[in-house]
Amino acid sequence: MKALTRFGLAFALSAVAISVPAQETGEVQQLHQQLQEMKENFERVQKEQRAQIEALQKQLDALQRQQQAAVTPATSAPPATATAEQVQQLQDKVNEVVEAQKKILPGEFNPAIGVVGETIFSYHSRGADQTGSDRPGGFDAFQRSVELNVSGSVDPFAKAWVVANASADAQSGEANFGIEEAALETTSLPANLTLTAGRFFGEFGRLGYIHDHELPFVNRPLALDEYIGGESRTDGLQLNWLPPLNQFVSLTVGVGDSFGGDSPLANPGNYRVFSEANFWGRLSTYFDLTPDWQLEAGVSGLWNPNTDDRGGVNALTAANGDPMTEHERRLAGLDFKVSYVPLRNNEFRSLTWGTELLYSDNRYLVDPDNSLNPASPVPGLTGDEFNAGVGSLGLYSYVTYKWHRQWSGGFLFDWVQDPQNHDNQAFAYSPYLTWALSHWNQLRLQYTHTDHSAASGLPADDAVYLQWAWIIGAHSHGWTQR
Amino acid sequence: MKMKCLRSLVWAAVAAVTLTGWSAQAAPIRIVTTLTDLADFARNVGGDHVEVFSLATGIEDTHGVPMKPSFLPRLNRADLLLLIGFGCEHAFLPALIEASKNPRIEYGHPGYVDCSQGIDPVGVPKSTDHSQGDVHPYGNPHYLLDPVLARTAVSNICAALVQNFPQYAADFTRNRDAYLAQLDAKIAAWEQAAAVLKGVKFVSYHEHWPYFAKRFGLDYIGTIELKPGIDPTPRHIEELVNEMKAQHVPIVVREPQFPEKVPALIAKQTGATLVKLPIMPGGVPHTGTYIEMMDYLIRTMVGAVAK
Ligand SMILES: [Zn+2]
Ligand SMILES: [Zn+2]
Repeated sequence: MKALTRFGLAFALSAVAISVPAQETGEVQQLHQQLQEMKENFERVQKEQRAQIEALQKQLDALQRQQQAAVTPATSAPPATATAEQVQQLQDKVNEVVEAQKKILPGEFNPAIGVVGETIFSYHSRGADQTGSDRPGGFDAFQRSVELNVSGSVDPFAKAWVVANASADAQSGEANFGIEEAALETTSLPANLTLTAGRFFGEFGRLGYIHDHELPFVNRPLALDEYIGGESRTDGLQLNWLPPLNQFVSLTVGVGDSFGGDSPLANPGNYRVFSEANFWGRLSTYFDLTPDWQLEAGVSGLWNPNTDDRGGVNALTAANGDPMTEHERRLAGLDFKVSYVPLRNNEFRSLTWGTELLYSDNRYLVDPDNSLNPASPVPGLTGDEFNAGVGSLGLYSYVTYKWHRQWSGGFLFDWVQDPQNHDNQAFAYSPYLTWALSHWNQLRLQYTHTDHSAASGLPADDAVYLQWAWIIGAHSHGWTQR
Repeated sequence: MKMKCLRSLVWAAVAAVTLTGWSAQAAPIRIVTTLTDLADFARNVGGDHVEVFSLATGIEDTHGVPMKPSFLPRLNRADLLLLIGFGCEHAFLPALIEASKNPRIEYGHPGYVDCSQGIDPVGVPKSTDHSQGDVHPYGNPHYLLDPVLARTAVSNICAALVQNFPQYAADFTRNRDAYLAQLDAKIAAWEQAAAVLKGVKFVSYHEHWPYFAKRFGLDYIGTIELKPGIDPTPRHIEELVNEMKAQHVPIVVREPQFPEKVPALIAKQTGATLVKLPIMPGGVPHTGTYIEMMDYLIRTMVGAVAK
């Protein structure tokens, strides 16, 4: 049977090979015909396999009945061995054919390939100069991303995945091709350990390592944008440990060359010491409050002992207007999610309340006379410089309620203080409504009102978004999206 | 001094007895199953040698068991993982296996036991893109609702136990034979009781019942869902209602994890009887075991026909 499948494939491939010159000479008609033949051939092979399965199944049923008749259930005497063997042989054959059929399915391809597309239609009440957004005011249509996901096993010891994203440049509209993730992960380390290496989203907090199109709302929460700088992308190493306890606990530690917004490093320099790397960790746990109510909680930390003038020398501004330079990055997070996931009908009804509180405590070198600025006549220390830490808080909290297999809605509250000046803060309120026709086709309508503080000098603004996201090809129901 | 010596000796003796007792009492084989039918079979076949935990409690949808982190410690220590197969659990199991960090139960390893081995699936989709929905990618996985196919699953479970723990082979085989004998007697009784169901037409919410219908001779007309896992459009409901009226379909089956509103409306519009049927043990009260559940299914369907 497998030989037949192979023959069919070989035939299909040779048909394709033959059809190439035909296409070149413009004989589209012929190509169509050949395609039709290939299709028919494929269907014939499938049909034959089905017929064979059915025939075998019939034989098997007959034999099994025979066997049952021969051995009454009450007597535990060994069955007629010859018949048993025959049954087993037939059984194996049926299995083989069924397996061969499964192999034809695209899910069996290695690697698995999927494509995600995401378009954002929006209206902003104010222009980009007043919102700080990289999208224009007024009406806007934006192909935020076209994402290619490829994943598969590397060998018995590791798997790997690549996420390539061709996102439209916010200004020019040109496609910007980039590798969002390209990582290898071990699958066979002892002691419940998993090591991830390469480019990936480091585990900090709750939504930091979720791709934009998988967030419960249209835009990334302000606190994550301000303190992490978008998705928590890093080039590095991460180790996760599941302690052998009855209680679920997950511990992750990582080290990387960058984390989130600072990739690529603003100033890699020509020689780096270990303390210029980013170090992060996360500890999380989970409780079944009742069979239907769940609680997950975690703490996270990110530390970069020497940020190597991230953002540029004297490019930042202190609360009083003095120029300053970042030299140490510290971020702590506390997050929890309480959810109602009814066992019986969670596809139709659920409730999620997620909250993350972030505390940024970056260290800066303040330089009131701007003498360190590379543009100053003789750049250097003049003695007025001093170290200062700025403690800023940020928080987002959202509630999503699902009342129908396809419909859910919620409310997101955002609050964030500028990491350089905690008097400069912003609040945002976003109700959202999601219509998921299937889990590969989803529309979301969101309204966002943003209030900036007087310190920022920005007026309040309003925006309406309509997000349309789709997936073709392989899709995963991943652990992080649960 | 002597007293002290004696005391030490006594302690040593107690310790020795305890330790040998401990080692003689081997740790039970830890089995995790996705659904409750498999847990029931595993308990029957494994007997005292096994400790079974089912991810589903019985009231969930077979395709939608919530991925709880509390499952991970269980899966991490499992010796065997029993699953339905045919992609039935694809929305929760692959991610759980991956997160559980237990190589014994990964796909392709002896602890990964796909109970569908030897079962020929019905309803294999002609095309495998998502226009057909995604929850039945390799054909219909609800074969356990046919008790004859359940026999195959029981045998598969026994074979996996024997393969992984040959030291108890005799016990497992004996337990299997005893359980299959019990099941065979029941099958005969169910077939007899279900004689009145021959040719009876019905629809259901999800495509759970092709194997059940085939076994007991019912005529399965269609589903309320547009495709497995995809909710109906108004037009699909309209077409289904017309079809049911034209064919005089007397029964609408609702599986308890689906909302009652639409099935109730369809039953009302067509004059059919609405019947609530569990899809695995524990789905409704008094269906704790597979046999109790099948009893319930036959009894309820026969009762509905008698109306
Ligand atoms: Zn799916
Ligand atoms: Zn199904």
